[in-house]
This record gives sequence, C-alpha cells and structure tokens, in this order.
Amino acid sequence: MWLPRRMVRTHDGFTLGNMGAMQNDTVVDVRGITKRFAGHTAVRELSLTVPRGAVYGLLGPNGAGKTTTIRMIMDIIGPDEGSVHLFGSSQTGRDLSERIGYLPEERGLYRKMRVSDLLVFLAEAKGVQRKRAKHDAQRWLERLGLSDWAEQKVDQLSKGMQQKVQFISTLLHGPDLLILDEPFSGFDPVNTQLMKDVVLELARGGTTVLFSTHIMEQAEKLCDAVCIIARGEKVLDGRLAEVKRTHGGQHVIVAVEQGAASVDSVFRDAALVTKADNYGQYAELELAQGADPQHVLERVLAAGARVTRFEIAEPTLHKIFIDLVGPEAGTAPAEGDDAHA
Amino acid sequence: MRKIWVVIRREFLEKVRTKWFIISTVMGPLLMVGFIAVSIFMAEGGAVRRVIAIVDLSSANFGQQLAVMLNAPEQWDVSRLQAGEEDLERVADSLTAVVGREELDGYLIMTDDAVETGRLEYRGSNVSSLADMEMLQRLLQQSLLIARLDRVGVDPRLVSEAQIPVRMRTVNIRDGQETEESAESVFILAYVMWIALYIAILLYGLQVMGSVVEEKTTRVVEVLISSLKPFQLLAGKVIGVGAVGLFQLLIWGLAGWVIIMRRDVVLEAFGVEATTAQAIPLPDVSLATGVIFLSYFLLGYFLYAAMFAAVAAMSNSEAEARQAQTPVVMLFVIPSILMIGILQQPGGSMAVAFSLIPFTAPIAMPVRWAGSAVPFYELMGSIVFLVAALCLVTWVAARIYRVGILMYGKRPGLKELVRWVRAG
Repeated sequence: MWLPRRMVRTHDGFTLGNMGAMQNDTVVDVRGITKRFAGHTAVRELSLTVPRGAVYGLLGPNGAGKTTTIRMIMDIIGPDEGSVHLFGSSQTGRDLSERIGYLPEERGLYRKMRVSDLLVFLAEAKGVQRKRAKHDAQRWLERLGLSDWAEQKVDQLSKGMQQKVQFISTLLHGPDLLILDEPFSGFDPVNTQLMKDVVLELARGGTTVLFSTHIMEQAEKLCDAVCIIARGEKVLDGRLAEVKRTHGGQHVIVAVEQGAASVDSVFRDAALVTKADNYGQYAELELAQGADPQHVLERVLAAGARVTRFEIAEPTLHKIFIDLVGPEAGTAPAEGDDAHA
Repeated sequence: MRKIWVVIRREFLEKVRTKWFIISTVMGPLLMVGFIAVSIFMAEGGAVRRVIAIVDLSSANFGQQLAVMLNAPEQWDVSRLQAGEEDLERVADSLTAVVGREELDGYLIMTDDAVETGRLEYRGSNVSSLADMEMLQRLLQQSLLIARLDRVGVDPRLVSEAQIPVRMRTVNIRDGQETEESAESVFILAYVMWIALYIAILLYGLQVMGSVVEEKTTRVVEVLISSLKPFQLLAGKVIGVGAVGLFQLLIWGLAGWVIIMRRDVVLEAFGVEATTAQAIPLPDVSLATGVIFLSYFLLGYFLYAAMFAAVAAMSNSEAEARQAQTPVVMLFVIPSILMIGILQQPGGSMAVAFSLIPFTAPIAMPVRWAGSAVPFYELMGSIVFLVAALCLVTWVAARIYRVGILMYGKRPGLKELVRWVRAG
C-alpha cells in the first residue's frame, strides 16, 4: 500500500487519512523544554505537539538531541526548563506507563530470563495484571512467530529474535501512545518491514506513535507530521504535506542514458533551475519560480539526451532536511544523547 | 507498592533458579558434615597405628618402664631391643633398613644417662608428624619424672597419683543464670555465627551489585526506569536478593538442625560410636539468639547492599564494578578479620566498640551475644546506631543510584558524586 511518494503529485487525501479520524486533542504536549549537560546544551527551548492518532516523526542528525528529548518526554530525565504534558494530564510518563510503550534507543533485555517470564515482568512493571500479561505475551509471541521460543532463555535467541521480543515488550500492554527511539536501527529488512506493518496497524487502530529517526526515507513513508531538530533546536515542524508545500518548490527528477554532459548546460540555466542535485543515476532539479517542467523536458531532449525517466515530483524529505539543516549538521559538535552530567 | 512487589518476585525467582543458588544450597550442609568429620578425626589424634622400637643401651630397668608407658596409647606398638653400646651402629643400620621397608615407623635410642640429662634420640619416618612427636615427648617426660623420683626413693604409686590431671567443667552464666553451655559450645556458636554472617552479608551484598551492573550493561535499566521509580527498582532488588539470602540461610539452618539432631547417623557413617558423638560439645541456640542473628543479618545486608548498589550504579561494566567495590569490601572485610579477636574476648573493649560501630556491628554484636552476656542498653544502642546509619546510607546510595544507572562513560569522581547526591 505504500506507493513511492514521488509517483503521486498530491497525497493529502492519503496522509491525512489518520488525521481526519482523530479528535482534536493532544497526546504529547512539550512546552519549551531545555536540557543542559556539563559541557553543552543538548536541547534548547523545544516545543512540539503530537495530536491523537498521529504518526509523528522526530527527525534530526545524530546528536541533535532526539534521545534527550524522548527521555524528557518519558520523565527518565527531567528538563531544566519547560514542561511535558501527556494525555492532557500533569502526571509523568512513569505514572502513565500503562498507557505508554517505550522502545529506548539502546536495546537490552535480561539475558538469563525466559522470554515469556521477561515479557510478563516488563508488562507487570508497567502495571498490567499478571494474568492479562501472560495471555497477551502468548498472543504476541504467536503473531511474530516466536511461540516455540517462549520458554527459552533470551540469550539463546538470535539477535533478530531478541529485537522482536523487545518490540513485543513495548506493545504488549496495548498502549495508547508508542514512543520509539530509532525503532528500525539494527533491524534486517524483513524485520523492519514486519515492525512497520505492526506500527501502522496500531496507528490505524488509533494508537498515537512518536518515533525518532535520522533516516528521512523512513519518516517520509510513515509520518503524518514531523519535527526536524538540529543542534538541540527545532528547525521546523508541521504536517508532512504542509512541510513539503512550504519548503518544497517545484521539483523534477530527470534520468538520461546518453549525453549526460550535454544536459549539464540545461541544469545550469538559472532561468529554469535554481538548484540541481546530481546523484549519478538521476538528478533532482528544483525549478525556478514560474518555470514550466514541459519546457525543461523540451530543453533536455533538444540537448540530444536520451531520457529514461522524467518525473514531476514533490521534494523528498531528505532534500528538505539537507536544505534546512545543512550537510554539516551530520557532525554535531558533541554527542548530546549519551552525554555525561 | 505493587510495583516493588513485582521487582521482588522477579529478583527472587530468577536468583533461586540459578545453578549457583542450587549448588551453594546443597554444598552448605555437605560442608557442615565435612566440618564435623574433620573435627572428629582431629579429636581422635589421627588414629594411625605406629610401630616403634626402643634400642635400649642402658643397664637399669628404665628401658622396660619406658616400653610399658609408650605402649599405653592404643594405637602404639612399642617393642624393646637390648643392645650393647658397641653394637649400636650395626643395630641402627638394620633398623633404618626396616623403617625403609615401612615395617617400622621409627626407633628410639636410649642410653644410661638419659635419666640424668633427658637426652634421647628418635629416628623415624614420622618425625614430621607433630601429633606423634608431641605424644612421644609427653610420655617420655612422664617416664623420666617417674624414674627420677623413683631413684630418690619416692613411691611410684604416689607419683602417678600426683600426676592426675585437672579436668575443669565450664558452665556459661548468662543473665545471672547457669546454662547448659560449656566454654567450647559457646565458642563454636560464636565462631559459626561469625563465619555465617561474614559470608552471607558479603555474598548477598555482591549479588545486589551484580544485579545492578547486569541491568546497566544490558541496558534493560532504561526500559525499567520508564515504568518504575529508581527507588522502587532499588528497593525491590535489595529486598528480593535479601529474601533469597534468608531463604538460603533457612535451608542451611534446618539442614544443620537435622544434622545435629541425627548426628548419631552422621557419625556412624564415619565409623564413630555414639558415645564419642555425645562428647562433641553442642551449642545451645536459643530463640533470642536466632532473632538477633537474623535481625543483624538483615540490617547488615541492607547496609552493605545499598552501598554495593551505589557502587554498581557508578560503573559501566562488571570489571569496573569489581574495581570500584574495593573500598566497600575493605570496610567490611578488614574489621571482620580483626574481629577474630572478639571470639577470644567477647566482653573486651574491642568487642564493645565494634558492636556499636554500625559498619562492624552486624557481625560483632551477634558474635558478642553468642559469646557473653550483653547489657540491654548496649544492644539497643547498637541497633539504634545501625538503623540510623542504614537510613543515611540508603538515602545517599539511592540518590547515587538514581543518577548513576542512566550514566555511561567516565566513572564519576568524588566531587561529581557529591553533586549527584545534592541534585533533586
């Protein structure tokens, strides 16, 4: 069901599908939080709101402060300034742990515990009744094909299976809000797909999902709304469609088979193209104000190139991200997420 | 509260299921039986049969007397060889050869002037056995005394009457009343308590440390902390491991009680008759002693477990924790070893001081209690100091723990620790 985004010119109808069903209330409300560690400020006056039922992406390069933000939302560490409100109440993430599923960036399980015991324990720690926890653990293990391993110790499982177990532990108790820190890192493609399917199914069922990632393609496929942060500060936030509209401009993707050199002169024509990113296999062009894509195609053909692909596209999130944050943001001054106090 | 209970149950069940727990639980009673067996063999003086010859070069009848006396111990077989001074070399050579064939353990050379000078010579393959040499010396001493007194005309019967040894029975007076306890049984009880408390507090304290480090290195702690308050996690863990400790001590206690009650069966297995069994002094463990022992175990365990948990929270790996634990282990181990002195003098000033200092009281007070009468106000004072220290240490440790479990990287210095404690 996930069509490549660039094949569809307008997609509001689709991305807003979840948003339409939601009631107009806020599940996560972060107001101006700041966190300082000894050497630097990890997060500075960050505000964001996640509406009920949304799939919300917290995007940023490594060390941007994503994990610190999520830890503050979970009340694992307290903000120096600002406040976090969950489900419109003043209770902390820990008090509401029964309604929240949290997958930390650093995965970890008790290695010597049996899988089913571990799942039941983690659910009970969140306040779930033992009987219900046992029943649901069984159900999830079956669903993810791990029921034969329920009585094995965790360290007898493969890495992929352990990740599945950890994943189950975040959703076992049927939370209303899922907070996933880099949920897809370290997964193989098969398990990544499996996790995405489960997350989206829960989202369709009304679960609010907040996840962080530095991989823009993932965010683009999953998110209704995003917040991009860099160096601890918010760069922009909003619904994905709006973000693309306001920051996009008109984009064209061109791939040619022969005569790539001759096409270069077209790409450099400032009257037509304001920015060209040549990725080798294809080039992504940002057209100048008022330029007509048809005209670009004519010029490319006139240059004698053989066109294998010509596509009028919205900008990728990746491109918006790079444009806003700059390529140097990938190397943040200090690792903010694990910083030592 | 329910969440603490969830942590306690996990900690208890997971620990009880480990191989380590099962092995150590079984090993405890086996060691007890072994300990009894060793002490019986020691008491019997290593009942090894010895064949000894006396090379008698003397002209008087002292050699004969000596042979009779040396034959007195059951396990000794002593024979006398009359020889002339000139034959000594030849006889000695042939006897040495017999010793070499292991048909003889050794031979004693006795000359005429032995009675005057007390000089004798023993050559044998068992000279390194302290017990044998001690026995030989003692019997020779006795024989020489009789021989010397005999020479000046003292009746030998009078001599042996004069030599009847002292046999003093000791009775322990506790709270102004005589008890059935003898000096040996009091010592054994104090000694057993000392060892049990030392091992149990250190072992289970270190278990808490291992458990905290495990959660930190596997990074489970972050998931836990999203659902549990750090204090809930710490309290559940310490109580859970403590419950494992109590459970194990209970099993050991019951096994020990059964072994002592049915000691005739145990001893028969080692080929000892029941009469000898009764001779082994048995400690009389009153209910009060049991309560004191368990109370101090729990208080001491909580005190050290809190410190070990804080140490673990500061460390990034098991290796690092083992290094960082040294000050806490030293705080516990060094006084505990010095406390062997308390066993000798349970009422001494060192014992009183150690039983009042909170960090040493968990071992010192029960040992003192077992060994002597402790004034009520000293017992109360010791408990009050210990509980006060426990509250303070737990408060500090919980604060270090709360910050430490989520910190990775450089181990904090003292200044940083102070900041952790102050924060929040």
